[in-house]
Amino acid sequence: MHISEGILSVPVLVAGAGLTATAVGYSLKKMEHKEVPKVAILSSVFFVASLIHVPLGPSSVHLILNGIMGVLLGWTAFPAILVALALQGVLFQFGGITTLGVNTLNMALPAIICFYLFSKGIRSENNLIAFSLAFVCGFLAVLLSGVMVAAALVFTGEPFIQVAKLVLITHLPVMILEGVLTVFCIGFLRKVRPEILDV
Amino acid sequence: MKNKLYLILTFIFLIIMMINIPVFAHKVNIFAYVEGDKVYSESYFNDGKKCVDSKIEVFDNQGDKLLEGLTDEEGMFSFEIPPEDVIDGDLKIVLIASMGHRAEYTISADELGDTVGSIKEKLEEPVSVVSPEVSSFDLKEIQSLIEDALDKKLKPIMKEIKKSQEDKISPTEIIGGIGYIIGIFGIIAYFLSRKR
Repeated sequence: MHISEGILSVPVLVAGAGLTATAVGYSLKKMEHKEVPKVAILSSVFFVASLIHVPLGPSSVHLILNGIMGVLLGWTAFPAILVALALQGVLFQFGGITTLGVNTLNMALPAIICFYLFSKGIRSENNLIAFSLAFVCGFLAVLLSGVMVAAALVFTGEPFIQVAKLVLITHLPVMILEGVLTVFCIGFLRKVRPEILDV
Repeated sequence: MKNKLYLILTFIFLIIMMINIPVFAHKVNIFAYVEGDKVYSESYFNDGKKCVDSKIEVFDNQGDKLLEGLTDEEGMFSFEIPPEDVIDGDLKIVLIASMGHRAEYTISADELGDTVGSIKEKLEEPVSVVSPEVSSFDLKEIQSLIEDALDKKLKPIMKEIKKSQEDKISPTEIIGGIGYIIGIFGIIAYFLSRKR
């Protein structure tokens, strides 16, 4: 999920950085004063979640949680993910500084898409509808991130079929896992803190 | 009150959970060493999984590609040190794994020079003293014997070095990172409050 330095071509890097900067600027302008603590906490959660490694069959996967970030934060997911990724890059050498823009875009744009698609649905009175939408939200966010990683690599010049296959295979377990996790999170928040879901 | 406690406990649990847990596919590592006249490299993901069939490219210090190949199912790739007139300086070994992961390792000129250069030097010096043919043959044999012995002795040390390069994420860094995040958003909150 974190693209390393020295892989992508310069136009892709510049485009990613530009789009991310625009989105972050827009969301910082829009950000309400009272939202800041929530953004900070979810940014920390995102920062830590990528470090948790869940054994799954012969290999292991890590969480991304961008679906939850999206429905809980809306546009402020952009600065939250940017800050968390920057620190992961500096402290753990995940990704890199030059690829920061592209990586942020890859994870935050699906979050925004999920925000527009699901943030109303998961507040539905009907538990079944809310929970199934929460699953699709977690699932779709990872899928879209995978597609964007693949797109970044394809624009740099890797063969499309090979990349697409790899993305699908490696991300399928993560998608399912994130879907289930999103259901639990949303279920928990609906019970104890329903007001958090009002963005 | 109870809810708050719940949240705090969950957070602490999350932090404890990932202490000393290796991470998956954020990063690839490559480690290389010289043994005899060959360079050996090992490639692996952060969780210890070997990088199979990953592309390896070797560059000289001018940035020209010297050779490339694929790792085997143990994540190993080895190649003979190119002759000295081809390389003058460090060798850079670049690993390009799937999904945009990349790592590099530099072997310094001294490391390479030790094996290639020392034979020549030693051969040239004492030749004039004793009868040339006998001594050069002996020296060559001694040289290779010493090298074999050293390689054997150094292998565990090489393994240790490799292990120490497999960086584990320390709790200090994680807590520090969370601290940074809170701080950064504190600054954002300050500017937002000044705006109003």
